[in-house]
Formats: sequence, structure tokens, C-alpha cells
Amino acid sequence: MKAKKTSSKTKSIVLLVIVFVLTVALGVIGVTGMNLDARGLYKLKSWLPTTNADNWPSSLSLGLDLRGGVYVEYSAARPENSDADFDSLMEGTISVIQNRLTDKGYSEATVQRIGTDGIRVEIPDTDDPKAVLDLIGTPAKLEFKDADGNLIMDGSMVQTAVGGYDSDQADYVISFKLTSEGATVFAQATAANIGKTISIYLDDELLMSPTVQSAITGGQGVINGMGSLERAQTMAAQIQSGALPLVLTQQKVDTVSATLGSDALSTTVTAAIIGILLVMVVMIVRYRLNGVIASWALCVYIILLFFLLAVIPGIQLTLPGLAGIVLGIGMAVDANVVIFERFNEELRAGRPLRAAVRAGFKNAMSAVLDANVTTLIAAIVLMFYGTGSIQGFAKTLLLGVVTSMFTAVVVTRFLMKNIVNLGMKNTGLFAKVKQVEKEEQK
Amino acid sequence: MTVKNRSKICLMVSAAIMVIALVLTICGLGVNYGIDFSGGLSMEYTMGGTYNKADVEQILKDLNVGSFTLTEQGTDEVNIRIKDINQDDVQTLQASFEEALFAKYPSAARDGDVSYVGPVAGQTLLTNAFTSVLLAGALMLIYIAIRFDFNSGVAAVFGLLHDVLMMWAFMVLLRNVIQMNSSYIAAMLTIVGYSINNTIVIFDRIRENVRKMPSAPKVDVVNKSVRECLGRTINTTLTTLITIVTLYILGVDSIKEFALPIIIGIVSGVYSANMINGYVWAFLEEKKRARKLQPKKAKA
Repeated sequence: MKAKKTSSKTKSIVLLVIVFVLTVALGVIGVTGMNLDARGLYKLKSWLPTTNADNWPSSLSLGLDLRGGVYVEYSAARPENSDADFDSLMEGTISVIQNRLTDKGYSEATVQRIGTDGIRVEIPDTDDPKAVLDLIGTPAKLEFKDADGNLIMDGSMVQTAVGGYDSDQADYVISFKLTSEGATVFAQATAANIGKTISIYLDDELLMSPTVQSAITGGQGVINGMGSLERAQTMAAQIQSGALPLVLTQQKVDTVSATLGSDALSTTVTAAIIGILLVMVVMIVRYRLNGVIASWALCVYIILLFFLLAVIPGIQLTLPGLAGIVLGIGMAVDANVVIFERFNEELRAGRPLRAAVRAGFKNAMSAVLDANVTTLIAAIVLMFYGTGSIQGFAKTLLLGVVTSMFTAVVVTRFLMKNIVNLGMKNTGLFAKVKQVEKEEQK
Repeated sequence: MTVKNRSKICLMVSAAIMVIALVLTICGLGVNYGIDFSGGLSMEYTMGGTYNKADVEQILKDLNVGSFTLTEQGTDEVNIRIKDINQDDVQTLQASFEEALFAKYPSAARDGDVSYVGPVAGQTLLTNAFTSVLLAGALMLIYIAIRFDFNSGVAAVFGLLHDVLMMWAFMVLLRNVIQMNSSYIAAMLTIVGYSINNTIVIFDRIRENVRKMPSAPKVDVVNKSVRECLGRTINTTLTTLITIVTLYILGVDSIKEFALPIIIGIVSGVYSANMINGYVWAFLEEKKRARKLQPKKAKA
């Protein structure tokens, strides 16, 4: 019996030391940075607070409001006298905008559809909205070039362009008709290039390089290899109107300077650190040894959350998102408070420590679970209705709630169980049992 | 410590605050809508030294922008809001204004956000705010009705409604301190999800105590439960408030716009959870009990 007790005590000591070393090690890795993968796929660089946004980890992607950039929301409308499928026009428009931005070096720009007729464009690291927005509005550029790369003619000489399916060639094609001027130019060019190729570019993307068989004098031609009917129709519409397939209206334009972003970042991080320390002090004063356990669990929560934020794709850290993390820290200890209060009640009811841990968790679980589920519901609703940085907040909150559930329940229970296992008998380390009883009697 | 049913007084206090806010709104002193809701163009610049306000106004007049408001913040910051502006002119206007401004004041610089919000976007935002709160409220009702009972769900959602209205009321009362922007929606939803936590902890305890004292009046059960949970309620609220108040004190404007409504919501949430929601449930339960008794009497 005695031997068994000693061995379980040794086991607890070993486990606690392992978890402590792990916590410290992961914290240090988070601060100093490490390549988790030899090829550098997961670069978890320092997430130590810094005033310079450049020093932030490459793996944590920062939202526009922290990084600086241009944010635009458009509403899209079908152009007059068009009866094409709206969804395919929308897809066409989005891909054209994305291509144009990528071509001009804004490789991190994102273009997304919001709702049915909204388009959101986010372009980081620029503070010149005019330049990028002019770029988005530029018409599609159709060019015919000869084998040496000389320009033969451009899209302005195209009179009509129609996308469709050519059953003879079993391919999706754009048939075009040239203006009379275009027809002359094209006839001369094809005559001069028999046996050679003529390349057709759309927005600098090579569409096709057919070999000229004979001079084309009729002013008509076919571009094949469009891949799909939607693409053929969208591209045809663009070539003909010289504009995007849909008419865009700016709904919202936001320009954030990088300095403002990094200011916001550093003040929020400072606030977070002060907030965390204060919470730890309150917890330790109020719950003594349990407070220390909660603070430990809180460290695990923060380390885990940042690892997850860095590793899960598609999550951007935004200013409201950071606020969500700070708020989440307060919420993470909420579950601990509920559990500890229950635990203290059990102690006051005269239960021994080990039984109090068990009963405390058992009785607190349903309240902790319900509380977290409701916050999850709110976060999910927000994810559907929020835009931009608000969505960033919703995602971070979601992640924060799930992570805090894990640390507050699993990690805390593990720590409490093993610390109690060390053979402590003094309940005063956890709560002011006797004095509370006196107060109750009054 | 004794806890009594003071829910009627508390409800009256809340109602009074909401009525004051409503009256102010009717008098044209409603919520101070920021650019996200009101629409238009907003630009902010640091002037980098002494400057003449009239110069800046002259530049704007030369550009024929129509009506604008120019607010001076601190010693050398100006905020320019132009309400009516054609959507396609935004970038051109900004570019030509900056050209003129920087020519006149070479040390001036753009400071932070330049935002343009179209007339439709603000309306969409408002619709989204309403829809999301209604949807979240409905989901909470369903969840709590399943986990507890229907009356608990109604009482909890009643509390949520109270908290959301209180947040709005204080946005009206504090209109000189805080603007309402899109982050308000996030704040509102956060409160909808969070402030219900205290209610749940108390309802959880009520459920336990009802089993222990099935014949006691429901109000007594609520009194007892609220008292037993007071420690946790105060401590959970305290820890969350600490972090969010720190954010408010240290944060930049856009963080303040988010933090203040949350602080109001959390305080309102703990108030409604302790003083109102449980009693609403007790009231509903007693009514249900009375309804059940009624037909029996009729039969007898």
C-alpha cells in the first residue's frame, strides 16, 4: 500500500516535470523561432511582441489593418443587355482581377466573393489606392503577336467576340469578327506569316499560338482552347466590351498605413501582456495554489493558440482578432474560476483534496461546456455575417474558445490531479477553508 | 449575504436608461455613427507642425468637394469627412487633395485610415447587425431550451435582449466619447455569446437546487442559487473585465471602439444574470404552475 503510494507520487513528479519542461521549451521556441521542417515549410519565427511588424513571424499572417494595405469592396452588377449566367460572370470577374493584381506584382492580394453580388479585394503592403484600383478597372488587353514578339494588333480592332462550343473541333472557342481596319491589318499579317506562328495574349497570358496556314482575309477568326464554356463566354465579353464582365461599383475603400498598423499591434500586445499578468495576480491571490495552476494553464493556452494561428491556413491575425485573443485570455480563466469555486465548495463540505478535485470537475463540467458552446454559436454566426477584419475576429475567437476549453479542462485537471498526488494535505494551500466556514455560520 | 428579488426595480432602472436613450435618439442625439455606418470619405493627416486650418479648408474648397467637416484632433492632426461624394471620384480626389496639401505643408503626412464607404454599405451593415443578433438569439434560445427547459431559454434570451439594448443605450449616452463602427457588430455578438455564460452558471445551479427543494417557491430557489454563484460570477467577470479594460486604456481608437461596448455589455450581462434573468424564469415557472393547477381545479 505504502509502496504504491510512493510510486504514484514519483510518477506525478515525473509527469509534472515533463509538462513543465515542455511548456518552457515550447515557449522558448515560440519566442526564438525554429524551423519545424528541414525545408522550412513551417517557419515558426519569433512571436515576441515587437513594434516592427516586419519582425512578426512569417507564418502568422497579419490582416490588412495590422500590416497596412488597401481594402476594397465592390458590388457587381450585370452589364446592360447581357443575359449570361451571373455566377459565371462573377467567377470570370474575380479571376480577371486576381490575375491582373498578380501580374503587377501584388502576389499576396486576395479577391473573394462576398454574398451574391459583392467582391472583396485585399491588397497588402501598398498605400496607393489609386494605382491599384485603376489597375483593377483596366480593360482586358487582347494582343496578337508574331513569332518575333512584334505586336500585330490589339483588342480595339475586334468588333464582336462570342464564346461558344465548336462541335467540329470539340473545343470551347471564341469566334471574333474584326473591324474593317482590323481585317486589313490581319490579312496583311497572316499573309506575311504563313508557316509561322501568331500568338494571342489576353492580359499578357498566352492563350494560343496557332500556325498560320493561309492568309485570313475575311476579318474573322476563332481562338480555341478556352477550357470551359464559362471561360469562353467571359473572355469573349471582356474582349468585346474591353472591360470586366461585370460592372463594379466601389462600396468601401480602406487604406491603412503600415505605421498605424504596427502602432496598433504594439499597443495591443502591451495591453495583452499587462492584462495577462493582472489576471494571473488576481487568480493567485484568490485561488492560491490553484491560481498558480491556472496561470500555468494560461501560458499553455497562449503558446498553443499562437502555434495554431501560425499553422492553420486561412487565419489572419487582425486588430479585432488580437482583441479577441486578449478577451479569450479572460474567458480562458473563466472556466477555471467555475471549476475552482466548485472545488472550494467541496473542500468546505469537508471532502479530502483528491475527492474535491474529482467532484469539482464533475459538477462544473456542464456549466463550462454550455458556456463555451454559446460563445461558439455567437462566433459562428459572426463568421457568416462579418466582413474583413470582423471575420478575422470571429475565427480567432472560435479558435480561442476551443483551445481554452482544452487548457482549462484537460490541462488544469492534469495539473491539479498530479499536484494533489504529491501528497499534500494542507487544504489552506488551495482555499481559506476554516475562515469561510466561520463566515457562513454568521 | 442575503439576496432578495429586486428584479422589478432593476428592470425599471434599465427601462429608464433605455427610454432616455430613445428620447435622445428622437431628439437627433442618437448613436454617433462612424464612417462604416454613415458612409462618405474620411481622411486623416498629421500636419507635422503648426498649420492654418483655413488653408486646409481652402484646398478642399478649391477641389469643389461640396460640404465637408474638418475636425482638429490634438495639436497637429486633422480629420476630414466628406459625406456626399461620387464613388468613382474617391481616388482622384484623395490624390489631388494630398498633392495640394503636401505642396503647402511638406511635413504633413497621411495618418492611418483613409476610408470610403458607399451609401449602400452602411445600410447592409445595419441589416447584417440585426440579422446576426436575431439569428444568434434564436440559436441560444434553442440551445438553452434543449439543455435546460423552454422557460430558461426565454429568460436567458430576455437577458440577452436586455444586454444588447443596454449596449445601444450607452452608445447613445456616450455619443461624445465613442463612435459606432463595424467592430460594434463583433462586440455585440461577443456579448451575446459571453454574457449568457453567467446566466448559464446560475441556471445550472437553479436546476440543482430545484431538485433539492422541489416544493419551495421558485423565487427562493433563485435567491439561493444567485447567492451561491456570486463568487464565481464576480470572479469570472473580473478576469474578463481586467483584460478588456486594459485594452481600452492602452488601445488605439479602433480598439477603443470595440472595447467600450464590450465593457458595457459585460457589466450589463452580469447585472442581468444576477438581478433579472433568474427571476424572469421564476415568474414564468410560477405562471406555468398556476396554469397547470387551473384545469385540475376546474375538473374538481
